[in-house]
Amino acid sequence: MTSSSGPAALSRRGFLGLTGGVAAMGALAACGGTSGGGGGGGTLRLVAVADQQKPLELLLKDYAKSRFNASYAPTDQVQTSVRTQLGAGNAPDVHVVYPGDGSAMSMAQIAQAGLLADLSDQAWTKRIPEGLRPAFQKNGKTFLYSAGSSVIGAVYNKKVFQEADVEPPTTWSGFLEVCEKIKKKGKVPIALGAQTQWVTQLITYALVPSTVYAKNPRFDEQMRAGSASFANSGWTDALEMYLELQKRGYFNDNPNGTTFEQQTSMVATGKAAMAIQVSAVLPDFRKAATSADDLDMFPVPGADDAGGVWIPAGVVVGLGVSARGKNADAAKAFMEFLGEQRNMNRWAEAVACVPLSRDADSRIDPALKSFLPFIDGNKAVPFMDQGWPNAEVQPAHFAAVQELLGGRTTVPKALAKLDETYRKK
Amino acid sequence: MASTLRPAPAKRAAPPDAAAHRRRRGARFLSPPWWFAAPALAVYALVVLYPSLSGILYAFTDWNGLGDRNFVGLDNFTKLFGDDAARGSLVNTLLLTVAIVVVQNGVGLLLALGVHTGIRSRTVLRVVFFAPAVVSPVMVAFLWKYIYNPSPDAGLNGILGAVGLGGLRQDWLGDPDLAIWSIAGMVIWQFAGYSMVIFLAGLEGVPAELHEAAMIDGAGRFQRFRHVTWPLLAPAVTINLMLSTIGGLKLFDQVYAATNGGPGHASETLSTVLYKQAFVFGNFGYSTAIALVLALFVAAVSMVQIHYLRGREVA
Repeated sequence: MTSSSGPAALSRRGFLGLTGGVAAMGALAACGGTSGGGGGGGTLRLVAVADQQKPLELLLKDYAKSRFNASYAPTDQVQTSVRTQLGAGNAPDVHVVYPGDGSAMSMAQIAQAGLLADLSDQAWTKRIPEGLRPAFQKNGKTFLYSAGSSVIGAVYNKKVFQEADVEPPTTWSGFLEVCEKIKKKGKVPIALGAQTQWVTQLITYALVPSTVYAKNPRFDEQMRAGSASFANSGWTDALEMYLELQKRGYFNDNPNGTTFEQQTSMVATGKAAMAIQVSAVLPDFRKAATSADDLDMFPVPGADDAGGVWIPAGVVVGLGVSARGKNADAAKAFMEFLGEQRNMNRWAEAVACVPLSRDADSRIDPALKSFLPFIDGNKAVPFMDQGWPNAEVQPAHFAAVQELLGGRTTVPKALAKLDETYRKK
Repeated sequence: MASTLRPAPAKRAAPPDAAAHRRRRGARFLSPPWWFAAPALAVYALVVLYPSLSGILYAFTDWNGLGDRNFVGLDNFTKLFGDDAARGSLVNTLLLTVAIVVVQNGVGLLLALGVHTGIRSRTVLRVVFFAPAVVSPVMVAFLWKYIYNPSPDAGLNGILGAVGLGGLRQDWLGDPDLAIWSIAGMVIWQFAGYSMVIFLAGLEGVPAELHEAAMIDGAGRFQRFRHVTWPLLAPAVTINLMLSTIGGLKLFDQVYAATNGGPGHASETLSTVLYKQAFVFGNFGYSTAIALVLALFVAAVSMVQIHYLRGREVA
């Protein structure tokens, strides 16, 4: 009792002195943290998405020139935090960058703001195939590192196909026949997890190369020039074909309420025969299956003439170097290391993609073999969003597909909305 | 009684010397209570007030989060009021808010009345009902995604089938007509216990003598609730209605984690729209304009609510 008012009581001067001291120590500690961490002694801050964790952990072990403070998070979290850091001027030295344009973290949008270091003088950039350059370059300069491209196709359960006595089809009518036979066997032909929004786009992306680009390879150019539109193109056919699959009952019930994880499980456990998916998620399917050998992939034939089938092959999510970072040179040296053919092969193998360039040591995932003739025969086009001019078109496409599946809109209305969003400045 | 003890009016009526008044006011700010509040106020001003107020400027620019910003006047606000997606999200937000405010508080009140009785398990039940409120809303949303599994033999649909109500099975989050109500359900499940605790505190403050007097006067159970308990619960009602209204208008986590505004835009709220505009589309200026309108709207609704509800509180 007495202690509260006795000699131990804090005087006004004492209190101010104490708080001032604590504040000063706090400020000093903060300053110390900044200089110690920022100077870094060669420590590079790296922020990547979860999909990049496996290859990066593999390669960082072999890179001795710098130390890394690496963190990995799901796409939306990384997108939120890294973009905010880019705007605030304290971006990580090396960070995730999406190929081409069409997303808030895409190469084109960040490079346009002058926030990505130019990698054009690195040896590996000479090996970027001509057709993929728009995904890596802005105004002729390379700003993105990516190990290769992934494809979109049908991930299928071989046992279910054997039970239904069907083989991977090569034409659209053949594809419908396969689905019909599987349905008659009491299995779901195509698992669709359209509640997970990015999944909604994959069937359109699988079909559009055949319905649009096979007939008009200059479609993107014409869209940018304003002389073409989604509504007056093969996009209409692609969405009609998407809905035809639904009308024929080839999807699981309630696709809008089904998630990617449920879709994966359905195919992996044999409840469904296939899922139209990007090859980058093959490891997820294999992990969920009893045996990884039960699963394989084939290109989705979007045309009735096998010769007119094209496929989507998009550059996989990559990395960029912060132009304003103190460690830009060390970060660029790391990019040079990643660009070595051996390391490109290792990255590509870890994420089941096709390496940007190939040599005798390149090991292509067996599930992707059937896609190589299309890539080598120039019948592959980048994922559509990589060429879109703003970040709103892709989410508009997600919403349009969900509304189509829910019977809330029609194909012409959905494509008119997509055109309107594409033209936004 | 108190008025007779006040200092003599003559002393108060004398116009205070302005300099002395300023000195007294200055001295008050240097008094010990302010010393203790000062660090917290300084941090609050630095990390909340300053960023919030300086952020308002961005609402009048076209900033994309990365490059330079240009002053665009009221363009962002004009765009907001003509934007179909924003209007749709406002309707969804209001529907969700009404559903949450009415049902969450109704259920909370019933739970509070239930556990305020003499039943033996009342302490355990209070903990059980309150427990969901301490879980992260994102975790709750992920949990409910499993409960809302559209498969006929899983989650809620499985339970409905098992008890012979298979006809009520739904595509809870995938049906555009049902998605926002399913989200409202998970929010109500999580926070009804929170409302219960506030009502319970109000119920504990109702003097037993008043109930006894009412019983002697022949009042039944409902009449005692209507004329004794309910008027004295008014402060708890005010707090609950205000908190649930603000929570409903700002709803983000559960929607983002459960449907991300889908299917289509069926469950989009103002908060998800402003998040997407900023962090997905890179329209920071426009998103700040939405945030500003949302903040003003929440403040206006809260003030009207307080004004009305405080008026019916029993002193």
